[in-house]
Amino acid sequence: MLEAIHLSKNFKGKKAVQDVNLYLGHGESVGLIGPNGAGKSTTISMISSLIKPTSGEIKLNGVNTITKPGEIRKILGVVPQELALYQELSAYENLHFFGSIYKMQGKELKDSIEQALEIVGLTDRQKDLVKTFSGGMKRRVNIAAALLHRPEILILDEPTVGIDPQSRNHILETVRMLNEKEGTTILYTSHYMEEVEQLCDRLYIMDHGEIIAAGTKAELLSILSTEDTFKLELSKLDGNFIERVRAIEGIRKVEAFQLQMKIIAKKGSNLISELVHLADQQHIQIINFQTETPSLEDVFLHLTGRTLRD
Amino acid sequence: MRSFIKKDILMFWRDRKELITVLVLPVLLVFILNFAFAGLFNHDKKSTIDLQLAVVNQDKEAEALEQLNKKLMNEASLEEQEATALVEQAQHIQPVPLLFDFLENKDIKNLVTVHRLKEAEAVDKIKEGDLDAILIIPDGFTAESLYAAFVGKTPTVKLQYKLEQQTNNSSALNNIIQGFMYQLNYQFAIQTIAGAKEVEVTLPEGGFEEIGTGETFTMSQYFTITMGALFALFMVATAATKTGIEIRQQVFNRILLTNSHPMQFFIGKMVSTICLVFLQIIFVIIVSNLILNIFPDRSMTFWIGIAAMAVLFSFAMSGLAAVFTAIILRMNNIDASNGIFMLVILLFGIIGGNFVPIQMLPDWLQQIGEWTPNGLYLVMFTDWIQFEELSSLAKPSMLLIGFVILSTMAGLALFPKRGITK
Repeated sequence: MLEAIHLSKNFKGKKAVQDVNLYLGHGESVGLIGPNGAGKSTTISMISSLIKPTSGEIKLNGVNTITKPGEIRKILGVVPQELALYQELSAYENLHFFGSIYKMQGKELKDSIEQALEIVGLTDRQKDLVKTFSGGMKRRVNIAAALLHRPEILILDEPTVGIDPQSRNHILETVRMLNEKEGTTILYTSHYMEEVEQLCDRLYIMDHGEIIAAGTKAELLSILSTEDTFKLELSKLDGNFIERVRAIEGIRKVEAFQLQMKIIAKKGSNLISELVHLADQQHIQIINFQTETPSLEDVFLHLTGRTLRD
Repeated sequence: MRSFIKKDILMFWRDRKELITVLVLPVLLVFILNFAFAGLFNHDKKSTIDLQLAVVNQDKEAEALEQLNKKLMNEASLEEQEATALVEQAQHIQPVPLLFDFLENKDIKNLVTVHRLKEAEAVDKIKEGDLDAILIIPDGFTAESLYAAFVGKTPTVKLQYKLEQQTNNSSALNNIIQGFMYQLNYQFAIQTIAGAKEVEVTLPEGGFEEIGTGETFTMSQYFTITMGALFALFMVATAATKTGIEIRQQVFNRILLTNSHPMQFFIGKMVSTICLVFLQIIFVIIVSNLILNIFPDRSMTFWIGIAAMAVLFSFAMSGLAAVFTAIILRMNNIDASNGIFMLVILLFGIIGGNFVPIQMLPDWLQQIGEWTPNGLYLVMFTDWIQFEELSSLAKPSMLLIGFVILSTMAGLALFPKRGITK
């Protein structure tokens, strides 16, 4: 449906985005994650036709949208990171203005506004000025303004930054509903890994202006699939026990702290029975035993050497 | 287009701070300035001038007609019959009594106390500080004035005005005397050309701002016009600054994403500026008039003219808004753009007579100032208040229309091309 091919953007000689390839299939929900300054917003601005790429192509169903920006604008809704709203106008007045410049009028406009307000749950506050709203409510109006013309593709650029958990959940639910029930194609950027994990079928991981990994959640997690991590809490812990654990075949790393141990071993080493047996021999009781599955955050850490919020 | 205009007007209406600034502040300033400068400029109010003037009459009025007859025959080479006819006409005009009548009329009497003295006596009193100035009517003044008026030459014998020291009051009196002489010669010349058998001279009224037979242009009217225009300039800057905020808040990008042509945004700004400036100008005039009664007993034609000028000025301001909007879109830096706007407004304000009366500026600056939209507006208004003649509005109106066209074209030329917002 929409593809970015070898997209690059330079600002005053500095490379903001380099050779990005990205694809959005019809009805898909795709996440674009990366830390602040990774180039996510610049990529989105290029895709949505607001800035021209230095090089590369953007195609919507085969049509070049760089030369024909009107093609993508017709079917695209963008929720920018900033609140692109008139603070001095009410929620209704904002939506009425943006709806009317989408050339909607009369009943069509009124129905669109009502529907958008209903989706974001602000029908009862529509007459209030935006400046009187909480951060979360403003973000919801920001989303409503992008839904007025019932876009086929919705791009959300960090729509949950700086808001309370309740509003955040509401926004996530709205996005999920738009994707699952309305069939809207979603491109969701965030530096909250758990949000994209919840919402997206596929992910692009971006850092320093480049896509460093892409795929489904399982595909990305498989990057870390060669190891298993175990955490043990013990009744007592001595040097002898630690040494004997280290000697077990397949163990790669053992860390001990007070009465806890973290063991990293080769995947499929099947260590549980050996560990239980060893503890029994040493008269040590295992109080707690956990197997840790790697998260996307771990994948990101593994790929970039830093966490998303660094 | 209507959506853009409605949005801009609504945004302005909701910005109470800005609304108070452009509506209440000019009226308040008109009110304050009117009282602060009333004593200094406004001759309608009680004057602070109290001038002690000695008038020394050395003219032999009884011999004046005989002297005139001789001068007409000897110097102007007229036949005796022609000279006699002119002398007969001249019998009806006596410049010296007219001057005394003028100095002792009601208006001048409030400003000047006249003492009829001999020259030596007057000089002594000046030295003692009892008098401020001496006006000497020299010998031959009547004959020379009449002769000069008949033959159209500058009189060789003139009133002599001597001061103890130059003050605002004494120079004001000098202006009054000069005004009298000018009026005397003017009336005389007019009636001679018209072939009147008897010459009647209309004495000028006292005061500083009397021009021809028009209405008086007062300081309160001046402040109303200039404050309205000055705050209209500020409103234009505010409209452009709001564009900057729209860019900063990404609203402009959202507008672009709707596939609306950016020109709609641009024209919307111009039209909303026309509406807002017109309402602001009219509000300031009406409220100032209600409080200070600055335009008493004026006709409906006068008010229609005022409204028409406000419309014209609003269009000129929309042209300026076009340039400012294009600059802020191009620069993409609100603070730097605001700095430029303030410089332009200060420049226009100063040379267009919004901060100080334009008459206080050097001639060359006055001439430049009359090319600014606010300067043109002031010229139009001043003429209309005094004369209510459409012909006097033609030139400034054309120049204002020219300003609208040129500034709109400049705005369009500076407006960023489609799709380029950064």
